Amino acid sequence: MEYLSLFVKSVFVDNMIFAYFLGMCSYLAVSKNVKTANGLGLAVIFVLLCTLPINYLLNRFVLQPGALSWLGKDFADVDLSFLSFILFIAVIAAFVQLVEMIVEKYLPSLYASLGIFLPLIAVNCAILGASLFMQQREFASVLEAEVYALGSGIGWYLAIVALAAIREKLSYSNIPAPLRGTGIAFITVGLMGMAFMIFMGIQI
Amino acid sequence: MNTNSNSYTVVYTTLIVVVVAALLAFVAMKLGPAQEANAKAETLRQMMAAAGIKPADALFSTSNADILSLYADNIAEAYTVGRDGRRNGELSVLREKIELVDRLKPQYKAIKSGGEVTLPVYVFKSGVAVIPVYGAGLWGPVWGYIALQEGRGSIAGAYFDHESETPGLGAKIKDEPAFREKFAGKTVGWGEEPAFRLEKNAEAGGATNAVDAITGATMTSRGLDEALNVWFKAYERHFKTEED
Amino acid sequence: MAQKLKETILNPILKGNPITVLVLGICSSLAVTVQLKGALVMALSVIAVTGLSSLVCSLLRNTIPMRVRIIVQLVVVAMMVILVDQILKAGESTYAIDKQLSVYIGLIITNCIVMGRIEAFALGNKPIPSLLDGLANGTGYGLILIVVAFLRELLGSGTLFGLQVLPASYIPNNLVILPPFALILLGCIIWAHRAFDKELQEK
Repeated sequence: MEYLSLFVKSVFVDNMIFAYFLGMCSYLAVSKNVKTANGLGLAVIFVLLCTLPINYLLNRFVLQPGALSWLGKDFADVDLSFLSFILFIAVIAAFVQLVEMIVEKYLPSLYASLGIFLPLIAVNCAILGASLFMQQREFASVLEAEVYALGSGIGWYLAIVALAAIREKLSYSNIPAPLRGTGIAFITVGLMGMAFMIFMGIQI
Repeated sequence: MNTNSNSYTVVYTTLIVVVVAALLAFVAMKLGPAQEANAKAETLRQMMAAAGIKPADALFSTSNADILSLYADNIAEAYTVGRDGRRNGELSVLREKIELVDRLKPQYKAIKSGGEVTLPVYVFKSGVAVIPVYGAGLWGPVWGYIALQEGRGSIAGAYFDHESETPGLGAKIKDEPAFREKFAGKTVGWGEEPAFRLEKNAEAGGATNAVDAITGATMTSRGLDEALNVWFKAYERHFKTEED
Repeated sequence: MAQKLKETILNPILKGNPITVLVLGICSSLAVTVQLKGALVMALSVIAVTGLSSLVCSLLRNTIPMRVRIIVQLVVVAMMVILVDQILKAGESTYAIDKQLSVYIGLIITNCIVMGRIEAFALGNKPIPSLLDGLANGTGYGLILIVVAFLRELLGSGTLFGLQVLPASYIPNNLVILPPFALILLGCIIWAHRAFDKELQEK
């Protein structure tokens, strides 16, 4: 039950895009049509699911104040949390690079459709953001972190596919020239964000 | 030199990581004391704002060094209490080594899970006792300090802070002085359930242990309401035995 | 040479503005634009980070192995960000601001402007132009941040830098404070920018 509420909350209430603006750059750049949006969205979910548990364990056993106490009493006071940014981003970048190499070698067809997005993901703020939020909220277990990863990934996926669908329609409408493209996309996302705000009041 | 060979790549990456980590560790060590001093002064400012030593604005424009002196001059004693309401530790109030229980999160968790706690009580020379409260708001933690009058039945003042509540809505718990000023003169319903109410239209009923929630910030208010009640409950035994 | 240098500096501020034209670095920017003060500190931090990381990456450009280039760049950027964060935390007057920016300081790391400039400029240019390019892009970004924050604080709270400027009879508009409005405002800024500069319009 707790997991379900965490999941729903991270999909709708704490939506990465609408509540935190995370992963906005690739969100706006790759939402011109539904097919590519779908690919990027799935890639984000996948990378989140794989990197968040790694970062969770890193945080728990290396970074937190007192996390190194399993090494012995002398290490109980060590606080390495100032290294968290660098370690989290290194894990994400290394993981993305690894996946890129594996996929390129063994699954060329998947690589053709997904591959171009992978380098984009290393610098997607939603991925690093999820790790930082995970650290801030101190989840109790790997499973909880994993549920959070799944939830925020799906939230991001929903947001990008929805925007892509709207933008496909928008390309047929008569919009003032200076507003075409990026301008109207911003305003659309703003309106979608307002719609998503209704979820803030729900209690689960 | 071939910058694409395997050994070069490995050596290069290792070197970069080692150099960067060493540099950062050095900076963190050098700046650590200054950061801790800042955090401590911030806590003292919030506590003294609640206790009404000086207006909040004046406290927040006072330098760290003066804040320490001001605290040392005004504090009478500081101690911690356990789950049974009895004292289980003393906190130094000497200017040079002021001790605080400023990590509220572990205490909050311990209260909720039923573990052993060391809850701080800061008694000022004016007679008021300041206690912390801590809980979860909409986006992140919310916390604050409540000053209790002598007799500990009524509130002298309060100060609240938060990590990332919505500015202009939930952030009003900190940014709007009128909100925290409403707590002065209210009572704590020791032994009642709930001891304090922070709800919509709570003041209308004429209850003295209630304050109206912030309009438009339901989740933040709810979080703060829960924080107040959890901590009041935890302190209840202490202040009840002290009265007797 | 002087002409080229001038272009390196001016282009990112107007014609090639990272936010309104290239649409980079939106992620960490919008949430800090509720108040002018936070936006100003964020802008300064980003300027420092883009400038310094471009400089360092440009110095290292001939030694970086191609395959791990992204990781090396990220490590350099992350280092700069941690330095900025640590320094803000240690300063007596900047401590409160650092607290307000909390998680977003960390997100400068993935601010696409930083990485984008390293990839597109610093890896192929000498250190000094790279430093200038980084600083100029940071400034172009900061400028938009400050315009958005100015409007949001003025309309949403009736204040500027925390001081009341609109008469007390003005009822603050809560909508302006909420996240979605930042996007709408940014859309309008892009609209104005492109109405002014017709070359930038999309078909």
